[in-house]
Amino acid sequence: MAETTFMGVPRSKIPWAPTIDYDKCDFCMECDEFCPHRVFERREGDVKLVVANPDNCVVFCRACAKTCGPDALSFPDKPETVALIKKLHAAEGESRTEEGGA
Amino acid sequence: MSYAVLACTGLDKAEGSVTREVAIRLAQETGAEIVCPVVLNRTPARYKKTLAENRLIVVDGCATQCASKLAAAKGTKPAQKVIVSDVVKKSGGALEPDLRLGSDALELARKIVDDIKAAETAESKETRAAKETPAVAEFESPSDFTVVVYDKYEFRVPLTGFLFNANDVWAQVAGSRARVGISDYMQQRLTDITYVDPPDVGTTIEQFDEVGTVESTKATFEVVSPVSGTVVKINEAVTDVPESINEDPYGSWIVELELTSWEEDQALLVDGPAYAADVERKAAED
Repeated sequence: MAETTFMGVPRSKIPWAPTIDYDKCDFCMECDEFCPHRVFERREGDVKLVVANPDNCVVFCRACAKTCGPDALSFPDKPETVALIKKLHAAEGESRTEEGGA
Repeated sequence: MSYAVLACTGLDKAEGSVTREVAIRLAQETGAEIVCPVVLNRTPARYKKTLAENRLIVVDGCATQCASKLAAAKGTKPAQKVIVSDVVKKSGGALEPDLRLGSDALELARKIVDDIKAAETAESKETRAAKETPAVAEFESPSDFTVVVYDKYEFRVPLTGFLFNANDVWAQVAGSRARVGISDYMQQRLTDITYVDPPDVGTTIEQFDEVGTVESTKATFEVVSPVSGTVVKINEAVTDVPESINEDPYGSWIVELELTSWEEDQALLVDGPAYAADVERKAAED
């Protein structure tokens, strides 16, 4: 399968995914039950939930945080991520033009 | 207008205590009938008439949204919703974690009650205004669609006039304004839409900021804005009847914005045929 992209930018270059604050998380699993993209995975032991597949997370989606009662989920800074994507997008565009011209 | 108020009244955190205070004050100040969540859960028949005849205001303490979920489980829809922890976050403050209400919690309850009353007043004014002002015809309904067929599903995408972001949100532009809504694919993913929470008129939105949320019986969807601009209009027809998004996703715009950097925004959006290809790929992945 081709590498997934977001707005023409390889998904793996975009650092967008939730971070679990384990001081707040009560492992209620609401976020995991909510997220259809299998971003989270359950584990045995003390830490019962991890962000196992960050690249599955839909860029700019923060919907799981809205299900979180203890407010334990955070995301990267949005304007910074937008700026990064715009930069990468422009770079991708240039490399495509070069390929096309060669 | 008469009201019913359902508060989570949770003893899990201070925000829950605030919801109880909000419900009591609303009842005192507007004559709203209090719907006790514990009784509603156990004996829904007790509130059948109340819920059928009044606008329901739901007050949740935190994002677990027990009251909202209870309302949905009992087949009733809120006319207005407040989440206390969101209000606290927006104000940039914090709430003392005491279940007994301190002065900050009482002040917060006071503010939330005032906000609810103000929103209800605005709502009835806007409803009247909407009836008086005819619809502006500059945004044309889409006519040509392509249909992505996947399994038993059919996802429609307008071929022209609409641009999409990768978060399944569309923009339809006319002059210096854009209307924003969610795609047919996303409304089918969400299933029955029960609540639309738009931003306030006057809010400044950057591209990819949240421009409201859409809730269904299955999930909450953050509407990621395809454009930058200032919110100039809310579609009351959609906030009043959220399921209209299920029926007509491309006619059911949620907000209208005055655009601020459309030239730049367009670079990160795709047209109908390109979005249809995205939908085909996403449907296969899900």
